[in-house]
Amino acid sequence: MAWQYSEKTKQLFMDAVHGKPGTHLGEIENPDGFGEHGSIACGDAMRFTFRVKRHPTDPTKDVITEARYLTFGCTSAIASSEGLCTLIERGRYTPIEALKITNKDIIEFLGGLPEQKIHCSVMGAEALEAAVFNWAQRRGVDLKALGIDIHAHEQEEGRIVCKCFSLTEPYLRRKIRELNLRTIPEITNAVKAGGACMSCHHAPGGLQDLLDEIWGKQPSQLPVLPAAPPRPLEPSVEARKSDGRTALSPYQFAKRVEKVMDEYVRPMLRRDGGDVEIVDIKDHIVYCQLGGRCQGCAGASQTLKMMIERTLKDMVDERIRVVEV
Amino acid sequence: MDDKLVYVDNNATTPVAPEVFEAMTPFLTTEYFNPSSMYEPARRTAVAMARARETVARCLGGVAPNQIVFTSCATESNNAAIFGTVKANPQRRHILTTAVEHPAVLEVCKDLQRNGYDVTFLPVDGHGNLDLRQFIRALRPDTLLVTIMHGNNETGVIFPIEQLSRVTKETDPSIVFHTDATQTVGKLPIDLTDAFRHVDLLSFSGHKFHAPKGVGVLYIKRGTPCRPYMIGGHQEQGRRAGTENVAFIVGLAKAMELAFENMEEDEARIGAMRDRLEQAILDQIPCVQVNGRGAPRLPNTLNVSCHYVEGEGMLYQLSDAGICASSGSACTSGSLEPSHVLKALNVPFTAVHGSIRFSLSRYNTDEEVDRIVDVFPKVVANLRRLSPYWDAKKNAPRPDAEELIGQNPSVSGAAG
Repeated sequence: MAWQYSEKTKQLFMDAVHGKPGTHLGEIENPDGFGEHGSIACGDAMRFTFRVKRHPTDPTKDVITEARYLTFGCTSAIASSEGLCTLIERGRYTPIEALKITNKDIIEFLGGLPEQKIHCSVMGAEALEAAVFNWAQRRGVDLKALGIDIHAHEQEEGRIVCKCFSLTEPYLRRKIRELNLRTIPEITNAVKAGGACMSCHHAPGGLQDLLDEIWGKQPSQLPVLPAAPPRPLEPSVEARKSDGRTALSPYQFAKRVEKVMDEYVRPMLRRDGGDVEIVDIKDHIVYCQLGGRCQGCAGASQTLKMMIERTLKDMVDERIRVVEV
Repeated sequence: MDDKLVYVDNNATTPVAPEVFEAMTPFLTTEYFNPSSMYEPARRTAVAMARARETVARCLGGVAPNQIVFTSCATESNNAAIFGTVKANPQRRHILTTAVEHPAVLEVCKDLQRNGYDVTFLPVDGHGNLDLRQFIRALRPDTLLVTIMHGNNETGVIFPIEQLSRVTKETDPSIVFHTDATQTVGKLPIDLTDAFRHVDLLSFSGHKFHAPKGVGVLYIKRGTPCRPYMIGGHQEQGRRAGTENVAFIVGLAKAMELAFENMEEDEARIGAMRDRLEQAILDQIPCVQVNGRGAPRLPNTLNVSCHYVEGEGMLYQLSDAGICASSGSACTSGSLEPSHVLKALNVPFTAVHGSIRFSLSRYNTDEEVDRIVDVFPKVVANLRRLSPYWDAKKNAPRPDAEELIGQNPSVSGAAG
């Protein structure tokens, strides 16, 4: 897929890869601040270092004079890293002032980023935060006492919500608030969560639940339809005609269901150590109990129910419904 | 700039051959008639369609032309083959496929899985090969369809469709065997009356061998239980409704003729260029691996993974130098996940984001290969200078990067 990058983004990337003077590629030896974010497995990673001009008495008045990065990632990840370093050096910020640089500032500096690439700018802001945290430790600055809430360590702790990118609940909660993320696609674009297997989207405690908790449950976009009225169990004359089958007596019907279960359903279930028992057949509802290894396996039961139902629908009667007891 | 463009993304699509364009032109201008109409001029378009069908049938080993169905693309052919077979065989519930199929097959199978079908996705080994014993074990009494691609679009690895289709049919002749041959038609000989005679359904599109985009083929062997997917017209003997795309069908047949005329010669030359490019990359770039190198491969495809760099940055620089290639990295896929094919091959995670695919065609030249050999090592070196895992001075991975991998990936260095 061709990404649409701004001229500025392209220029910064090309300057960086060609090591043009004035770019910020590299790593400072014995830096005053050191921060990392991302991992190679996730597809982007950044190492960010800075040096300060130390204030003789008050470390909170240290001024960042030099910022460098090493980045594994795509065009926009490298351009974002370059943007971050330029913004910091240009502003002659103290590390605490530098914390005010957000991913939005980086995006603005780049002249915009495609939505799917927002996470590249977030990575820069995260690495900066980690580096400032590191600087505070080195210089003995108590950030908490200054009323600064640093979260760089939070990402490692807490329940994992997005397994693919190892993102925890506290981290996601913070990012949803900080970046004002309102939908799952917005979360994915900003911090990648839910961008791979997508299984965390609507799982209990997943992304949608976090959004609902933080912003309040949004009115469902699709109206909830009332349940369909129960269909008459006796087929109409037309239905029987189109079916092409003559109606079965309850005895014949039950016998045929039993036969299909024996010949098709049970052999399949038994291969995995499972079994199924027909508890009752009433009209076209077949009541089943899963046995053997299928029993108590919540994941399997839905699939199995569908499989049994589909098989019976195909082989005996389209109207059959399977109810697990 | 355009005359200097090096186009090596032919597994994505190919330029239309001038001869093909010429053959199509009358049907885009004066010969616009609907082949289903009754008047005399319309008969000419019907005849052109019939000729095209004969050509395609001849190139596939001389099958009966009425077994060739024209579609809009390979994706449609695959959807039609799979859904059509499933519809025609309601008493069976199992489908057998592989983990490395094109999404046009993979996603269709997953859709069926969500609807209660049982689908087996066969894994591949580190070279991209299937295990035949595993394949045989996976066949079941209730298997209705086996759908396995012929040549992989990303790695070029070729599956032994001749053997797999024979084993399938000898195990149970009622199982329908489908193959997606999009990457191999026009590149490898496919004889549906001989080595490939057990194949029931075969799909491909024209734009991979210099026909335009928007036309494909589904071969349906006579007697195969497969219901039509597109309904609402008598065209293609009722097996694919919709007014025939006469110009493009004529173009596809012409392109097929051209590909088959010079196949042996072309493929030998393309293969030699690919091998030279491959060797140069292995010689000049440390820490690269050729994906699928230990398996039979299409002669035109080269998929290399460069450790510790990301594919999009490479593509961007290549593009800046006028070279068009593609990558399996997450950043280029539209999702955030890297290529499912490379993951199935267990390409180490330090390299899965750094894959580049070069795919050649008969229009590529030795000079173009030289250009790539000149540019590509620099592109990789540029990004490695920026990489937090690379020691630029030693031109090797940093010691802590080695630690990071931990699981000893099969890195083939310059020694290859």
